[in-house]
Amino acid sequence: MKYKDYYKILGVAHDASADDIKKAYRKLARKYHPDVSKEKNAEENFKEVSEAYETLRDPEKRAAFDQLGSHAAGQEFRPPPDWSQHFASGSPFETMGQSAFDDIDLADLLAGLTGRARGRSGGRAGGREGPIPGPDYEAMVRITLEQAFHGTEIELDLSVPEYDERGVAHRVPHRIKVRIPKGVIDGQKLRVPGKGGKGMQGAPPGDLYLDIQVQPHPLFRTSGQDLYVDLPLAPWEAVLGTSVELPTLAGAVSLKVPAGTRAGQQLRLAGRGLSRPGGKSGDLFAIVSIVVPTVVNERERSLYRELSESSNFDPRAHFKLGAAA
Amino acid sequence: MNIDTAEALSLDENSEVSFSQLLVLSGLSDNDLRELVDHGALTPIDPNASSWMFTSYCVVVARKASRLSRDFELDAHAVSILLGFVEKIEALESELHALRAGALGHGPAAASGTVSR
Repeated sequence: MKYKDYYKILGVAHDASADDIKKAYRKLARKYHPDVSKEKNAEENFKEVSEAYETLRDPEKRAAFDQLGSHAAGQEFRPPPDWSQHFASGSPFETMGQSAFDDIDLADLLAGLTGRARGRSGGRAGGREGPIPGPDYEAMVRITLEQAFHGTEIELDLSVPEYDERGVAHRVPHRIKVRIPKGVIDGQKLRVPGKGGKGMQGAPPGDLYLDIQVQPHPLFRTSGQDLYVDLPLAPWEAVLGTSVELPTLAGAVSLKVPAGTRAGQQLRLAGRGLSRPGGKSGDLFAIVSIVVPTVVNERERSLYRELSESSNFDPRAHFKLGAAA
Repeated sequence: MNIDTAEALSLDENSEVSFSQLLVLSGLSDNDLRELVDHGALTPIDPNASSWMFTSYCVVVARKASRLSRDFELDAHAVSILLGFVEKIEALESELHALRAGALGHGPAAASGTVSR
């Protein structure tokens, strides 16, 4: 079992009062709660903070934790020999041999002391009698834009608690294969029914919730189901119009650029974005930029000069209008 | 080992859940869920219907409400206010994201491109 220093996680002294612990928790919850925080690794940090608070707020669990001794965070340890008799009396841990603690999570150990099991939505079933629905699992899934466009199958490796015949939770690896529908977008939540933890005493299993993160793409940017791609044009292509090969997530298409296309103009390719469940697909927008060659040869320079002398085009005509007003 | 592939369901505006399903999926109490509806944090598809149905996106909101209530020890009213702010922030972030992606207000209005092939 790996040691976690709950006092250090909450940033409080070992003799902190219940009030100090609550204050420290609230401050850290505000900082790391995944629903209100933009901190990096907020979810992982909040999980630790929440676990620490669950233990230290409860005098019984706190006393049991204190008697586990002091170890370095992350260090493998076993409870002292007489610990179970003092703190786990009546719990499944009371009669366990020392080596049986090795694959137990500290939070599961302390939660198990009061006979509690995690219920649906990560909540606690509070030691109640009767069937207890399985806990829900949550996982972050990073996929590519191509996978989001076409749909994909992923394999998730989770470490989940599994209860033995005594009701003791052991961490076990659990592999789940999930089909992600096409058209998912960054930040979308998905539910996989029945793929959470097992229910107890005939209760149904929990669900698995997936939080989709779509990796940035080197060419396309997304906004909901719409896609955006930069389309650089040479000045003469913008003036005269042209046909360009444009990449899309379903393969390149030939795009006709009308004559007189301006920088910043968006050319919409209807239905070439991500598909919407039960509706039409998003669009692909090609955003025009006009790029100029940085090196020109003598012939090109001469043609530009000729163009400059024969053209009446004034790109700054509105300056004069503005100055006259 | 052969593992069955499970289907992931989108939680969005295109599928529905009943009031009782929303209770089970969110872990909220009947009273808290009704209060969230009263405070406007969750809106049934037809508020006048005898049994409320919700879009499945409401599962995301209700679970968030459940977490906020549990983790910050808030009542349904405070959760509703907080959810309103979180929703506003998310809407602004989404707008900012759209602007950055090139979606809004930059350059002339969109014209249709012609695709051949």
